[in-house]
Amino acid sequence: MFEEPYRWMEAVSTRHNYVQEKLKMGQPVMAVPYNEGLLIFGFAPQPGKIFEVYDRIALGGVGHPADVERLRMNLLDMAHLEGFNRSAQDVTSARLLQFGIAPALKQNFEEIQRAPYIIRMLLVEIDNEGKSNFFRMNYDGHWETFKNGTAIAGEEKVMDWLQKEIQKQPFATYSLDQALQQACKLWDESRKLESDDESKKDIPETLQEAFDQWYLEGAVLSEKSARKAIYRPLSKDEIERLKSSTV
Amino acid sequence: MKFQSEPNTSAGEFFELLENSGYRWPANIEGAPKQNGFTVPQGTTVLAFHFKGGVLVAGDRRATAGNSIMYELCDKVIPIDDYTLMAIAGVPATAFEMARVLSHNFEYYRRSQLQSMSIEGKIRALSKLLKENVGMAVQGLGVVSPIFATYDPAGKKSRIHFYDMLGADFQIRTHTATGSGSQIIRGILEHEDLWGEKPLAERTREEAMTLAIRLLQTAALFDSATGQARPEDDIFPTLATLTEEGYRFLNDNETAKIFKTSTERG
Repeated sequence: MFEEPYRWMEAVSTRHNYVQEKLKMGQPVMAVPYNEGLLIFGFAPQPGKIFEVYDRIALGGVGHPADVERLRMNLLDMAHLEGFNRSAQDVTSARLLQFGIAPALKQNFEEIQRAPYIIRMLLVEIDNEGKSNFFRMNYDGHWETFKNGTAIAGEEKVMDWLQKEIQKQPFATYSLDQALQQACKLWDESRKLESDDESKKDIPETLQEAFDQWYLEGAVLSEKSARKAIYRPLSKDEIERLKSSTV
Repeated sequence: MKFQSEPNTSAGEFFELLENSGYRWPANIEGAPKQNGFTVPQGTTVLAFHFKGGVLVAGDRRATAGNSIMYELCDKVIPIDDYTLMAIAGVPATAFEMARVLSHNFEYYRRSQLQSMSIEGKIRALSKLLKENVGMAVQGLGVVSPIFATYDPAGKKSRIHFYDMLGADFQIRTHTATGSGSQIIRGILEHEDLWGEKPLAERTREEAMTLAIRLLQTAALFDSATGQARPEDDIFPTLATLTEEGYRFLNDNETAKIFKTSTERG
């Protein structure tokens, strides 16, 4: 059936539609710089969007939880083996993506007999020179890098809007509290772009509802940390401060 | 970097991941003779004791090979994770490798399982490595005698353990020391704890540091394999504490300051 190129292309195109449809429910995850490092943040009905990968690398995921988990474990395996066999300095987001995840994901997506990964992924790091790096990867292995922050979301139009809005703000000059507030406002505004879909009727309509009904997940990679591993989840106090300043 | 179609599913076990990638812990060397009544080659002094607020772990800096002094800047107190320190005596190659495996093991477990390994799990992890190493140890090639100190932030309790070369672990309530200079200072530690100004566990951080520096200087006076501090060359013992805030190493300036006041004679 797939020996003709056209049929193969048609099958790949169908897979794009299938995955994009499945991803639609995915809530945004944003990553932005702030004056002491970078922040990664998102609301979700279930926890499991933001994770630590290695000493200076964090992950944000949108999609099927089992696929996020498989890729997260793959990243952990690759990062820790590389860090053990060589050095922590050799573990970089670019290497993990370019030589690890991305080629495998592309191959998996184009092997049309196999189930595709339903995922969009953010990989962020503060590199060994103290520079924040932001990477975004699609379910088909295509990845991009950004200097001033980025976002992923289930719907492409939401993702593109957030990407543009993030670039407009001087996040790198903000304190952590300011960066959180601004990111939270962008998240709130981005919901107006979501398509009017029956499946989205349970999405909170206000920030108050989001804080009450969903989980806010957030973490920072802080240059000020004295530890080797610079990932730190947001504290309850930081989340409470954000809630009282935005709701 | 190799993408695994099926990632490691062994519940956060880094050592298994390593073995699956082809790594092998050197069990023993074929044809090498076993030693009869071997002695543990451990030219060093490391110590740990409980003080008010946590654990102090300290060590000298000298590495020797037989009668030769090979190195005066050896770090024998090694951070394993934010709340764990290991002090090593024995064969450095094996000890450093154990520390590296443990460090990755604890961090891999924490990141993959989304929770820290239990204190008991951490203590057991070092036991397992020592057990893996028995073959090398009986050949006299890789004996390690570690001190393991860890702090449980949830229970707000610190623990000190020492191990025999087969991997048995023993929890220490007050103090311990290992290495060739340890016999010289163990008596002093016990004396200080029982009849000193106050028990070790009630001493402040500064008092604990002062005692540790004096103990290591004393050990170095009687044991040639334990290095004395050399302030003129900025070489000082390693001093680290484990408290509610995690581990903290004194930097050279801090150590120089406390060394000066600690070694002044009355």
